[in-house]
Amino acid sequence: MDVAIIDYYANHGNSFLHKAKAFWKIVFVALLITSIILTNEFYLLLGIYFALVTIAVWTKLPVTKIVTIAAYPAIFALIFAFLVWNGSWIRAGVIIFKALSAALTMVLLIVTTSYPEVFNVIRPIMPRIIAEGLFVTYRSVFILLELTDQLIKGLKVRGGITRRKYIANIKNFSSGIGLLLVRGFDISEKFYGVMNIRGYGGRISYERTNSFITLNDGIALVLGILIFTVVIVTVIRKSLLEFSVYILALSIIALVISSIYKQFST
Amino acid sequence: MSHLHIPDGVLPGWLVMAGWILTAVILAFSIYRTRKTELKRKIPLIGIISALMIVCMTIPIVPIAYHINLSVIAGIILGPAVAFISIFIVDLIIAMFGHGGITVIGLNTMVVGTEAFIGFYLFQIFMALIGRDSIMWSSGLAAVIALIISTSILVGIIYASQINPEIIIGIEESNPTEATHDAHVPNELIKGVNVKSFAKTLLILLGIGWLLEGIITAFVIKYVSRVRPDLILPQRV
Repeated sequence: MDVAIIDYYANHGNSFLHKAKAFWKIVFVALLITSIILTNEFYLLLGIYFALVTIAVWTKLPVTKIVTIAAYPAIFALIFAFLVWNGSWIRAGVIIFKALSAALTMVLLIVTTSYPEVFNVIRPIMPRIIAEGLFVTYRSVFILLELTDQLIKGLKVRGGITRRKYIANIKNFSSGIGLLLVRGFDISEKFYGVMNIRGYGGRISYERTNSFITLNDGIALVLGILIFTVVIVTVIRKSLLEFSVYILALSIIALVISSIYKQFST
Repeated sequence: MSHLHIPDGVLPGWLVMAGWILTAVILAFSIYRTRKTELKRKIPLIGIISALMIVCMTIPIVPIAYHINLSVIAGIILGPAVAFISIFIVDLIIAMFGHGGITVIGLNTMVVGTEAFIGFYLFQIFMALIGRDSIMWSSGLAAVIALIISTSILVGIIYASQINPEIIIGIEESNPTEATHDAHVPNELIKGVNVKSFAKTLLILLGIGWLLEGIITAFVIKYVSRVRPDLILPQRV
């Protein structure tokens, strides 16, 4: 998980998805996740995955990096697929591509939307302690990432992590985690003090956003509805499932054209 | 990776819903339990422990993509109720990276939350039985046992996913296309899994993870007890 890189992408992008409002992007994600859960058709899932990679190309961000970040659940999906193996590659493929597509959908949201914006949308349905815990966690992650970076460098430079000294390595690494924990608490206490001085009374205020649908919101919404409609139609009229190969072909063509366009436009 | 994060679309809808309901009930209870603690003091604490868990998950322990969770440490330091809230926040954030499904946050929180809950109580019991000088052994053992139990719950979830598939919220029997004629894909993707072989594979895969997390937990708790003993031993909610 490259938290810092993801945050950088979310705050420095200039694509239609970056410009779309967090609320509509969450609707887009909800439509896609529902579609991924509903379909068990391998080619359709593959089509959705390639469509998502195409959208990743449209975000103007490094596609390989995004796909790599979203590939993490493949490890778990592979284990699940291995355990239910009945000789069918299609079934294993369905499990893996469900996990990969769902993860890529979430990663697309998070590389184009800053965490506070996402939290702001889900805040009304969350208990206060969780909503505010999300914001404080987000802030603390970056402080700790910097400390972790220094810690690992320090351990390496001072011989705290050396080859073939596994027990000593674990001991030093654990002490490092302990140090992070203690320093984290110190930071937490300072943070609490600073928040108090600034008038924090147990509630963080948030910026309100307007609810008008812009063109960028509309594009995200239309894409979500389009994929959802295709899946729903194939669920209701199963005879249409035979066209899923064409949907896959369409997604691949869209991906190829988008990649070529991106290559020439940059 | 001392436990598995369940991905989206693998488990039946009724089980996913059950996970959400259970987690909501436990969360409500946890929030109720922590109501006496001042909110403005509690939030930075939850924030820093959740952040530490996320940061530790970003450090891969070579060579098999293991990472530590610190769930038992969170349980020991925050207490089971606050730790459960913290774990829900962690699961929600990491789901955004695709690390565990977004629809199965409920179930994943249940699995990881169990580690914090059991870890906390086992640590207290071991400390009372073996004595306060054995803080390292108490925390290490508590971590390993908590992880074994949480993995058993995961196996239980997989087993439960095969029960009563008619209730599944989702599509009906899929009609195989030409491509899937030879390989029928059922709605319940993990139906038919051999729970025994699943448990065996998990034991092999995660056994090293449990041991590693147990050792790391022991050393971390030992370090913290030396530097800031007040963080380990006061009454927790």
